[in-house]
Amino acid sequence: MPNDYIHIILADDDEDDRLFFTDAFDELNMSTKVNTFNDGVELMDYLLCEEAILPQVLFLDLNMPKKNGIECLNEIKSNSKMADIAIAIYSTSASEEDIEETFVLGANIYIKKPSSFKQLKKVLSEVVSMNWQYHTNGLNKDNFLMRL
Amino acid sequence: MTKQVFSKSALFLRIVFLVSVFLILVIGGFTYKHISNLSNSTKLVVSTYKVNVELEQVISYLKDAENGHRNYILTRDTTHLEPYLSAREKVNESFAELKEIASHSEDQNENLKTLSKYIDNLFKNFTQTNAFVENKETLTEEFKSNFFEEKIIMDSIRQKIDEMISLENQQLEKHHKQYESNLQFTPLFLYLLLLFTLVLIIISYNRISNDFKNIKLFNNQLSIFHEATIQLENIGKHGNWVWHVDTNSFTFSDNLYRVLGEKPGAFQATLETFMSFVHPDDKDKLAADVEKMMEEKHLPFTYYRIIQKDGTIRHIKGYGKLLVSDEGERRVIGNITDISDEIENYLELEERNLELERNNEELSEFNYVASHDLQEPLRKIQTFISRLEEKESDKFSSSGIQYLDRINAAATRMRLLIDDLLQFSRTNKPDKEFVLTDLNELLENAKQDVAETITDKEATIFSDVLPSVFVIPFQMRQLFLNLLSNSLKYSKKDVRPIIKITYSIINSIEDDVLVKGQQLNYHKITISDNGIGFDQQYASQIFELFNRLHNKQDYSGTGVGLSICKKIVENHQGFIVAEGELQVGATVVIYLPV
Repeated sequence: MPNDYIHIILADDDEDDRLFFTDAFDELNMSTKVNTFNDGVELMDYLLCEEAILPQVLFLDLNMPKKNGIECLNEIKSNSKMADIAIAIYSTSASEEDIEETFVLGANIYIKKPSSFKQLKKVLSEVVSMNWQYHTNGLNKDNFLMRL
Repeated sequence: MTKQVFSKSALFLRIVFLVSVFLILVIGGFTYKHISNLSNSTKLVVSTYKVNVELEQVISYLKDAENGHRNYILTRDTTHLEPYLSAREKVNESFAELKEIASHSEDQNENLKTLSKYIDNLFKNFTQTNAFVENKETLTEEFKSNFFEEKIIMDSIRQKIDEMISLENQQLEKHHKQYESNLQFTPLFLYLLLLFTLVLIIISYNRISNDFKNIKLFNNQLSIFHEATIQLENIGKHGNWVWHVDTNSFTFSDNLYRVLGEKPGAFQATLETFMSFVHPDDKDKLAADVEKMMEEKHLPFTYYRIIQKDGTIRHIKGYGKLLVSDEGERRVIGNITDISDEIENYLELEERNLELERNNEELSEFNYVASHDLQEPLRKIQTFISRLEEKESDKFSSSGIQYLDRINAAATRMRLLIDDLLQFSRTNKPDKEFVLTDLNELLENAKQDVAETITDKEATIFSDVLPSVFVIPFQMRQLFLNLLSNSLKYSKKDVRPIIKITYSIINSIEDDVLVKGQQLNYHKITISDNGIGFDQQYASQIFELFNRLHNKQDYSGTGVGLSICKKIVENHQGFIVAEGELQVGATVVIYLPV
């Protein structure tokens, strides 16, 4: 590992959600470094620049202005440089269509945003400490959606 | 078909006619032959009779001659020689007659020659004897022998003549016999032939009168059909036209004029007058179609508009087909139909469809709003409350904490409602795929979802082996889940829940619920519990949206669960019914088509 901390990025247009997200990691006391972006364009601009530090886990909201999560997912998966990033879809809804589409596009896990802070912390800590290699090998449609 | 019958009949009649004519000719021929036979026989009889008479005459002449000759020998008076001399002449005359008569028979001819030779001999003898008498040598041996010879010749002449007469009689007899056998056979044959011809004629008459009856019937049917066609034209706004190809003339039906907004026969039926009604924009296209029709003698379905006199535009569908009559006359028979109403309806329907589509789109947009935009603020409220409870609870008074609890409970309930509503609207979507699925597996999945509650309440679930059915898997799983949740939720507080799931395949006539079903056989799945049950009078109400039988405080729930169940079962063309008894338990029965 190049760093002794886990590099995490969140792309979400909702200010409250970004706040919950960073608060949760603050309280979790894990050695993580969290970057947030306000929309898909900002995210992709960052990821595509030369000196970018690519994250281990990318949390991607689906419903964002300018460039939505699906488009970002598509671009990231078609770029070999970013192939190793574990992508967690982080969305309010968990409609069949969205789950299906992101699974097919190669996202690693689908998280429906929890409605309590306690659960949020639990979910985030589980996701960040997840063995991605192991998870990805056994990935199927049933375990793609993270059960709370 | 009738046409075929008539042509068959015509062939039959033609054959019978020819046979009858032939038979009549045959009868005529036979009759002619018979009559000519008869006259031949008469001739033969007459000729035989004549021959006999002549022969008798010849012998009598010869006798006269012999007598005269003998008298002369006795008296030497030459006057006695007279009959002798005239006999010679008369015999010759008779002979000429006989020759003619007897010419038809070779034998008689031969006999006649012999006879003539004998007669010549006789007269030669007479002459010699006469010479002896003249010379008075009557007592000589030569005279005696001559005289004796005369007697012998006379005898042989007699014999010959007898022979000839008997031969003639024989021939007559023979002929008579033959004629008799002919006569025996011919009239019977002719009579039978005549009878047969009569029978044929009777059959033909029968056939003709039958055909005539049929034609009358057929004509009757045709006139009914004709009337029906006229009515049909009126009701269906059809008009028909006939193009007589060979004379290049047209006939229009009355209703064709009406379709064009005119009175029947208001104008001459020609292509030009018809074309004058056609909408200017469609004229070229129709003209091209008609031109093609003139070449191919066939008009495919063609659509155009016409303008009636008052300016009304009507939509027309046209079609025509060549029909060649038995006589080889070529006619293109065509139809026009006013389809304006149809088109109007179609346009209206299309508009409604578009409206429906728009509505559907709006609905799915609303779904999205419900699923995402409504949930988002709610989730935030809940998260903030949880933050408050965690971090700031010590700053609240006890009533403040109570309020916070209430807010949280209300928010949770709202979330539940939104989730259920979403679930309900999702089951509305028709475009789900039916997959052959093992229902046992789906039931097992549903059980896992409520595993925690099962453990908590120490519930027991008994279940039959379920079949594999073509279903929408996630909906069927939802169905089982909702029913199991209900049974667990509405269990009695102090009794361990027991849920029984039974399965059977039934015929739709066996069950009153299934009278509306179109399928013959149904899967019947029954889920019964020992919970608090419900009053049977609410059995159908409980499937209505937001319908609840219990207080929120006692039993949580949104009143959507069973509505979703009903929707799902309906999506599968099945039926769902519930039976309940208070404090005994509830039973839900699902029928799925096989």
